[in-house]
Amino acid sequence: MQIIIIGGGEIGYALAKALAAHHELCVVDAVPSVAERFGLLDVEFLTGSGTSRSLLERARASTCDLLIACTGLDEVNIVACSLGSQLGCRRTICFVSKEDFVHTAEGRDSLSEHFGIDQVIWPEAQLADAIERIIMAPGSVDAGVFAGGEIRLLEFRLGSDSPLVGKPIAALDLPYGVVIVAVHHGDSTSIPRGRTVLDPGDKVVLMGTREAMKALQGQLSPKAAERRTRLVTIIGGGDVGLRLAQHLDSEPGIQLYIVEHDHARGEMLAATLGNALILEGDGTDLGLLESEEIGRSDVMVSVIDHDERNLLACLIGRQLGVESVITRVSTPANLRLFELVGIDVALSARGAAVASVVHQIDGGRSSLLKVLEEGQAKVVELTVPDTFQPTALRDLGVPDEAIIGSIVRGGQAIVPRGEDRIEPGDRVLVCATGISAEEIRTLFTPSS
Amino acid sequence: MRLCIIVKVTGDLLRRFGLMFLWPMAVAAYYSEWTDLGGFALAGVLASAAGQTMWLAHPEREPDLRRIEALAVVAGTWLVVALLGSVPYVWVGLSPVDAVFESMSGFTTTGATIFTDFGAFGRGVLFWRSLTQWIGGMGVIALFVAVLPRLAMGVGRLFFAEAPGPTDEKLTPHVRKTAAVLWRLYAGLTLAEFLALWFAGMPVYDALCHAMTTLAAGGFSPNALSIAGYDNAAVEWIICVFMFLAGASFALQYRALLGRPGVFLRDEEFRMYTAIVLVAALFVTGFLWRAGGELTVAFRQGLFQTLSILTTTGYASVDFQLWGDQTRMILLVLMFIGGCAGSAAGGPKVIRHLLIGRFTLTELRRTLHPRGVLPVKISGKVVSEDVMRTVLVFFLFYVLTFALCAIAVILLGADLVTGVTATMATLGNVGPGLGLVGPMANYGHLHPLSKLVLTGAMWIGRLEVLTVLALLRPEVWRSAHWRAAARG
Repeated sequence: MQIIIIGGGEIGYALAKALAAHHELCVVDAVPSVAERFGLLDVEFLTGSGTSRSLLERARASTCDLLIACTGLDEVNIVACSLGSQLGCRRTICFVSKEDFVHTAEGRDSLSEHFGIDQVIWPEAQLADAIERIIMAPGSVDAGVFAGGEIRLLEFRLGSDSPLVGKPIAALDLPYGVVIVAVHHGDSTSIPRGRTVLDPGDKVVLMGTREAMKALQGQLSPKAAERRTRLVTIIGGGDVGLRLAQHLDSEPGIQLYIVEHDHARGEMLAATLGNALILEGDGTDLGLLESEEIGRSDVMVSVIDHDERNLLACLIGRQLGVESVITRVSTPANLRLFELVGIDVALSARGAAVASVVHQIDGGRSSLLKVLEEGQAKVVELTVPDTFQPTALRDLGVPDEAIIGSIVRGGQAIVPRGEDRIEPGDRVLVCATGISAEEIRTLFTPSS
Repeated sequence: MRLCIIVKVTGDLLRRFGLMFLWPMAVAAYYSEWTDLGGFALAGVLASAAGQTMWLAHPEREPDLRRIEALAVVAGTWLVVALLGSVPYVWVGLSPVDAVFESMSGFTTTGATIFTDFGAFGRGVLFWRSLTQWIGGMGVIALFVAVLPRLAMGVGRLFFAEAPGPTDEKLTPHVRKTAAVLWRLYAGLTLAEFLALWFAGMPVYDALCHAMTTLAAGGFSPNALSIAGYDNAAVEWIICVFMFLAGASFALQYRALLGRPGVFLRDEEFRMYTAIVLVAALFVTGFLWRAGGELTVAFRQGLFQTLSILTTTGYASVDFQLWGDQTRMILLVLMFIGGCAGSAAGGPKVIRHLLIGRFTLTELRRTLHPRGVLPVKISGKVVSEDVMRTVLVFFLFYVLTFALCAIAVILLGADLVTGVTATMATLGNVGPGLGLVGPMANYGHLHPLSKLVLTGAMWIGRLEVLTVLALLRPEVWRSAHWRAAARG
């Protein structure tokens, strides 16, 4: 595939790194010094603006299959995509960071209509939504919602007092309709078997129907379930902080504090949000956090645009006694580090966005729903072809590296047992570790 | 401050104001009150001639108004208009002090009167009394802003300096169009009430006068017994409805008419206003009922009097001076609240009370969270600190003005209840007070100096205190000069 990437920042680099081996890449960036970083990758680098027609022509936009615009400026990205599609690009993906353009994208005068943009990705919004899901499921360290809300996924870190610890999975008293799809033990993630025994410190990923997951949460953290209002503190009222706050502000069971150092931004937040309390000051200011008793918080979310300050804020929060600490990580390499020092959840907005783009290109006809444990496991959705003969799950011969977490049939979701049959037209949600989506697909093709 | 510009712009407004006297002349002529006609003609000629002379004070065709000059034009225009409006009263035999009091009471929509014997006045004069309130209700300047084709630069300032309440919202991008829209709505509502009253059995002349003074939240009635003189329940209900509308923001009603009735529910001031009306009416009803009244009558009278005092109209459907102290206390509290901003009502306005309440709560919260960003919000919108400060200062000056005027009136010989309520009723543009200035009594017996003090209170109250008091600063007058400096 011939791909043009406009913008050589973190996102551009991560994309190039993941795609360079199998595709013909051309990276465009206005800053010449960026080229050095791409020198190690097998890509073509052009210096100039992505909004220049002649430059895009030089990048052979007329024959390219995909143009990805991921500079830090929304306007540049939109113009670049628009130019690209005029020149003949088959598909364009535009990264945005401001709400204005996304609203345009949803409305009638959509970005696709006027600018020929096929897909808009707003990483900050995706991140805010991911954090919101985790906050709304107390005790979880990751969460996902699939099949229009029918299927939920939660990841928990097990404490020594957890009811899931110490027994083989087959002997656990899980609610009907819940299945453990992955276990992270030590440094590796695997698909558990019935005889697997979970240890304290492990992380488990569970998938199940909406009602069953609710029952499960009550089992795992009865304390959190009965607590009435929870105090959530957000450090940093930037794009992510604001979007998250807008969603949480109207939740009845949540009291919201936001710490923002910029006075004007603080006033804007106070004007936009009805109930949240805005505190003016630095998220790493111990005096402020102490006097406002931030330690009482059930959850602290640090979403400053700066990894070091996020880390410091989280450590202070932890020290003050915050129950659960969530942070955003800009440099994906830092993810592991954050969790090592005791941050409960560290999420990377760009990481998730890059993974979804890469999967689109390499994932064939499946769609990527969720990346777990920095890519060690993923949840993909496949549609069973019409040529498939109905087969019971236990006769299907699913490899050890994958597990079918649920089946969506005509709007209804089931968490299958061994005797449940898979039928043509079903959409199956598969959690897989060391196996690609294409390999799973072969299970449903009659020839195999 | 350039006096020539102030004189010129005021003159421009005055010479057009002269035409207003044609209306009472027509009424007087219709009822063949030929002697009264002269007073209106004299006032009209005076206004036009003075206005034309003042207009010539400055050669520039379209002078631009600075902020302080706009304030001076507003304050000055209201004063001169009230003086000219008193000419017809002097013509029919009132003393100059009484005439100015009556005229100012009209234009400021107060409704306090010095008339003792209504039979002594012709229909033309009583019509003029009602018309002054109708003009004053939407604003003398708003009227001219609405009808003049071209205006001096900065005339928007005039419009907002005169508008009641701390709002400066425009319904359309042009001030002129906004003023026109509001006047049209105002006139439409007046026509609606006139027809309703007429169908309910009120004579045409009385219906017209009452329609004009209800929408203005004025309260002048051509009947000495006010609304009680008609003894008609339907009339009382109709007037209740229109008093309620007169006390609510006209801008809001215009928006609702454009097909968005939801604005009423979203507007916190309107919700508060409605709540005050209902709660106060229920309390008054309860007290009247306990005192031995029939429940339906008690409710009608309770609601009518609550609306009449809260919207600062000042009609009386019953002599509330005879009610118990509990009920009269509620009416006093209502006098200190007033209607909504952007309405025809006087008083400190519901929104200022709401803002002060919010501000107090916010400051309490600030002691708990010293670093919190805690804005005061109304209807989901942040109120700037500047506006908040103006509101606080307004209250301080309102109370101060009230205290000084009340002291003066009492020292000049009024009893305590009369002195305090007379000041409250004039400063708040309500009209009738309690004691010797009760709804069935009048202000005629007060000391002439007291009448002047109260005339000043009405003027200050209508222009919302600060507009007038800003002009009393010495530096304003130190910088005053006649000729504008030549432009480089």
